[in-house]
Amino acid sequence: MTKTAEHTELREEVSLDRPWVTLVWDDPVNLMSYVAYVFRSYFGVTPKQAERLMLQVHNNGRAVVATGNRESMERHVEAMHGYGLWATLAKADE
Amino acid sequence: MSGLRRFTLHESGALLGRFEPIEVDLLRLATSQLVDMLDAGAADPQLAASDGVFGRLLPVAYPDDAAAAADFRRFTATDLLKRKAQNAQIVLGSLGTDPASAADAASEGDTAGLDTEDRQPVTISLDADAVQAWLRSLTDLRLTLADRLQISPDGVVHLVGDDARFLGELYDWLGMLQEELVYTIDV
Repeated sequence: MTKTAEHTELREEVSLDRPWVTLVWDDPVNLMSYVAYVFRSYFGVTPKQAERLMLQVHNNGRAVVATGNRESMERHVEAMHGYGLWATLAKADE
Repeated sequence: MSGLRRFTLHESGALLGRFEPIEVDLLRLATSQLVDMLDAGAADPQLAASDGVFGRLLPVAYPDDAAAAADFRRFTATDLLKRKAQNAQIVLGSLGTDPASAADAASEGDTAGLDTEDRQPVTISLDADAVQAWLRSLTDLRLTLADRLQISPDGVVHLVGDDARFLGELYDWLGMLQEELVYTIDV
């Protein structure tokens, strides 16, 4: 079995590696066409990917639109708020 | 005007939009009110942190972490509201001078017929930056109206009374305008 010290070290490493995600939520105001446009123009995804993400938001109530470190996810959320989209960030699901 | 596309792409790269004068007036009025509201929020962090319309414009970034959400809002709210106000100012700029206030400034001549005579459709030219400002401001206007209309998450309007019909029509019209704008640039 491992010693306590090693165990702690391992846990820290895991938590450092666990990324953050930017979520966009369905809201009754924003138009589907606009949401897809924002995904394409801001994240630079293809029209097909943008459409798929938009439909995920629409049908599932939310979609993960970006994954990465906390700082860049905060930047994305702020940008989404600039577009008027309902965006949040959270730690990625384990 | 029905049957004609409102927005067309000009060979210069600019987007040309055709509007009835009454539409320009309405957009100018709504956007001016938006600017006032955004300026008030940008100048008052407590107002910007309040529920209601500012909650719609600046959603809670960390739904499960109140402290992180408050920090995020403290660091981003003022800048976001200022940028939103700048976008709305760009929209106002592209709408041109209000003919009524121009007539007031002149304070001479017969302006009685101003609202009914000689008011032809106008063409508004938007460059790429203005298009971005319009897209965002139309969203902010609709978010603001959605708050006043008390639109619930399922999209149902709960406001009743005289204002509800007018605001509802304005809300729908702004949505149509935004969709036409997206479809025109989305090629």
